[in-house]
Amino acid sequence: MATQKKQILNKTYILSGLIVLFAVAIIYKLIEIQFVHGDDYRSLAEQNTVKTFEIKANRGNVYTADGSLLATSISKFDVRMDPISVSDKDFEKGIRELSKSLSKMLGKSAGFYENSIRKARANKNRYLFITRNLSFNEYQELKKFPIFKLGTYKGGLIIEQRTVREHPIGKMAERAVGFDDYRGKVGIEGYFYEYLRGKNGQRLKQKIAKGQWKPISDNNEIEPIDGRDVITTIDLKIQDIAHYALLEQLEKFDAEHGTVVVMETQTGEIKAISNLGKTKKGTYSARRNYAVWESHEPGSTFKLMGMVVALEDKVIDTSQIIDTENGVISFYKRKVRDSHRGGYGKISAARVFEVSSNVGMVKIINDHYKDNPKKFIDGLNRMSIGKKLGLSIKGEGNPVIPNPDDKDNWNGLSLPWMAYGYGVSFTPLQILTFYNAIANNGEMVKPQFIKEIRTQSNSITTFDKEVINPKICSQETIDKVKVMMQNVVKRGTAENIYNDNFSMAGKTGTCQTDYWKESGTKYISSFVGYFPADNPKYSCIVVIHKPDKKIGYYGNIVAGPVFNKIAHKIYSETPVQDEIILKNELVSFDKNYEKYYKKVNTNYKSMPNVKNMSGMDAIPLLENLGFSVNAKGNGKVKEQSVKAGSKVKKGTEIVLNLS
Amino acid sequence: MKQLLANIKGDKTIWAIIAVLAIFSFLPVYSSSTNLVYVTGKGTTFGYLIKHAILILLGFVIVYATHKIPYKYFSGLSVLLMPVVVLLLIFTMTQGTVISGANASRWIQIPFVGMGFQTSTLAVVVVMMFVARYLARNRDKQIIFKESILYLWLPVAIILMLILPANFSTTAIAFVMVMLLVFLGGYPIKYIMYILGMAVLVFAIFLLTAKAFPDVIKNTRIQTWSSRIENFSSGESENNYQAEKAKIAIASGEINGKGPGKSVQKNFLPQSSSDFIYAIIVEEFGLIGAILIVLLYLGLLFRIVIITTKTDTIFGTLLALGVGIPIIFQAFINIAVAVGLFPVTGQPLPLISTGGTSIWMTCFAIGVVLSISVANKEKVKESNEDIELENPLDILHEAVG
Repeated sequence: MATQKKQILNKTYILSGLIVLFAVAIIYKLIEIQFVHGDDYRSLAEQNTVKTFEIKANRGNVYTADGSLLATSISKFDVRMDPISVSDKDFEKGIRELSKSLSKMLGKSAGFYENSIRKARANKNRYLFITRNLSFNEYQELKKFPIFKLGTYKGGLIIEQRTVREHPIGKMAERAVGFDDYRGKVGIEGYFYEYLRGKNGQRLKQKIAKGQWKPISDNNEIEPIDGRDVITTIDLKIQDIAHYALLEQLEKFDAEHGTVVVMETQTGEIKAISNLGKTKKGTYSARRNYAVWESHEPGSTFKLMGMVVALEDKVIDTSQIIDTENGVISFYKRKVRDSHRGGYGKISAARVFEVSSNVGMVKIINDHYKDNPKKFIDGLNRMSIGKKLGLSIKGEGNPVIPNPDDKDNWNGLSLPWMAYGYGVSFTPLQILTFYNAIANNGEMVKPQFIKEIRTQSNSITTFDKEVINPKICSQETIDKVKVMMQNVVKRGTAENIYNDNFSMAGKTGTCQTDYWKESGTKYISSFVGYFPADNPKYSCIVVIHKPDKKIGYYGNIVAGPVFNKIAHKIYSETPVQDEIILKNELVSFDKNYEKYYKKVNTNYKSMPNVKNMSGMDAIPLLENLGFSVNAKGNGKVKEQSVKAGSKVKKGTEIVLNLS
Repeated sequence: MKQLLANIKGDKTIWAIIAVLAIFSFLPVYSSSTNLVYVTGKGTTFGYLIKHAILILLGFVIVYATHKIPYKYFSGLSVLLMPVVVLLLIFTMTQGTVISGANASRWIQIPFVGMGFQTSTLAVVVVMMFVARYLARNRDKQIIFKESILYLWLPVAIILMLILPANFSTTAIAFVMVMLLVFLGGYPIKYIMYILGMAVLVFAIFLLTAKAFPDVIKNTRIQTWSSRIENFSSGESENNYQAEKAKIAIASGEINGKGPGKSVQKNFLPQSSSDFIYAIIVEEFGLIGAILIVLLYLGLLFRIVIITTKTDTIFGTLLALGVGIPIIFQAFINIAVAVGLFPVTGQPLPLISTGGTSIWMTCFAIGVVLSISVANKEKVKESNEDIELENPLDILHEAVG
């Protein structure tokens, strides 16, 4: 064939030329990718590899007026395990100890944990549930357990962290505190969510292998701003009293639900609010904010409004005699009855109020306003009770006062029915606000739930007293109705809660409800008032819905005692200077202290007798004498290891058994 | 050092190019090792750097040693190495390495060192030398087809068939290289057509048997090959994950690049230190770096062509082309894969990618080319073509003597 070098070289040059062309094609392609499709690919790169991560801002806390936590966010930890990722050696070495440690912390037997972990390992379950809702401290401890201390990859420990909202004081004001989550925005949490939530921050992260993300720069792109703290007006002590007083009564009367609100007379600050409803299990828990939301026919508690209007208009006077006849009066074939069978006969207008005579009240209002019902309605509206309060808590119910111009909803029965609290509708808080205005000498203040919004160091906003109506009626009228309300407790419908030492004023209400239903009439029992009667400090409303009729349903029986208990407890447990009330208790307390003081100051030469002393007193007493004390148990001293009177050297150990 | 430099002979430009490539290779290799360490959780980035340094150093020892051997000996060496390569390939096939369920036995362990060695890479170089030898020996004769079947194609076919099951792309490229070389070497075009036809036939039979009797030829990577080619032609994005990531890397590099070590796509590109290293280079060093690399390989090609031009012997010419051109081809195929001109093949980028075998065999080939250039410079006309030894065993005598 005679291969010539020339031929080889020629072909080589051609080949080289082709390779150079190929190189040109490559460069062309490079340029095409970078310049023609460059933006597409670059944005794809960003989409695939750069992501903005949200950094959750810490939610603010909700505090009581005295700084106790009502709601705060804390981290909870759920624990799972991947037993497969643990090596055989580590597994066999640590499984026993791990099971024991788990058993100690979580309660179930060590065998249970060992079994379930071994089973998961055999069944290749890589997501074995261990426990949930561990606190941070428990989680720190759990991390140190055998096997788990090897970490996620070698120890199979899987931790899932959640932030949950906790209410450290439990269910007491849960409904008023409310929530702001998937369920919606409710209560203080819901209303002040803008302050509480804060602003989430942002951080750009870049994807790296294994599905991990690393931050691109040292700082967050947007720093998160933590939520503000909300200081409520709630007083933990009063809240505690109100909650348990209500709960006890609800249970006693097997009622459907109930609410209690305690308000500071001068400022309108809500010191306690409790809403409890019966659950399916028959227990009570905070279900809805009845005090704010539930607008219902108030019944007899509304008689105060009617009485005030009538007195203001001077159509009657307290001493005017009203004939309540025999306790029954008919309107358009419908009857108004007094709860007291047979009626009260001829009594004064004030007495009508004290005994809560329906007939009497209907007569007072109907006789004087039936020709001009508008005048009565205007009288009511003048006192600012026809409008919502504009609360800082969401979901306030609408007050309803019928209007005589509205012919569809007004008939001959409207006025007489209204006189004793039917055909109108108010929320418990609206009723309370009116009573509070009377207690506050006519100045109607808005119920206040929030004192202050603050960051950890700075106050952002403070909320001052808000006046709705500086004077709802004349002082003369106020003085009159105040006396009437005081007499309600002294000798009227709420006689049963009267106490010599302590003055209260208020009005009972026993309102029929569900009277339109076939299931039969049920009752709403209420009591609203203020205390002390002569210098009101707090006003309070108690409303209990649908108590068991067999046990009782009158306002003075069902709701009255709750009011009484709250009033008393507040006065015996909060340091208000009211000597008359505290006299007895102070005396006994002083006596005790004197005895102790004497004991402490005696220069003992021998072992003193500490039996029946409280441990709290006995231990410092003995320690001051130079003994070393070893106390067992809690409470009062039952036994002392060295007999009283025997001589003991300093430094001797004395064992006290307390119980 | 001076003495070492004095001992370096042959084409200085080639020395310079391979030195630049080798030194440059540390940057992308080090950069992409971060991801490798993170994903596997084994070793350290510094460890990878040291390993690469050792491989490169050994590579240069190979270049140096090879270029000292007068190129005439490679003729006989190729014949001697053919049976060795066959044995090694058979041994490799028994290793049973598996890539995602398919047979991918490409590696044997080098005893004591603990490194893998890809026998097919060695086989390709040996086959090229063998073909060059055959063509040079028959330069004056009328080639008889049947004879060439026996003395040329049968040994070549045996080796290629042994590589085929585990590594289709290497086989295909090797086959193309051989065909190119025989074309350059004056093998009649008519016969080339016959061989092409036969090769297609053999490959078709192989495919059919593999599909018809999956039990007979177990675990072949036929599935992988066909899906790769299908994906390339249909452009399905789901299966073209790597190709897309490579393009994203190239596009993000822009003109100046992100700077050494700052590649993002290395985290998502499998084989970022080998098959897709070019994409990483473009991302980190930009269009400028990309074109420079292409120019370096073109420079290498240019020098190889110069050497072939200057060589007096046909064997020298064909040997230089036979071992030199595949380096350039491999480089451009690797780059073509990265830019999306070629389906994903898994060819390393010569002298830059990690991987001992690739570096060493490239160095060996460069050494051979340099050896030819040494002969050119010294103008030692070893009494012309007859020097090409008739008896391959003579090489042993010479080596001993």
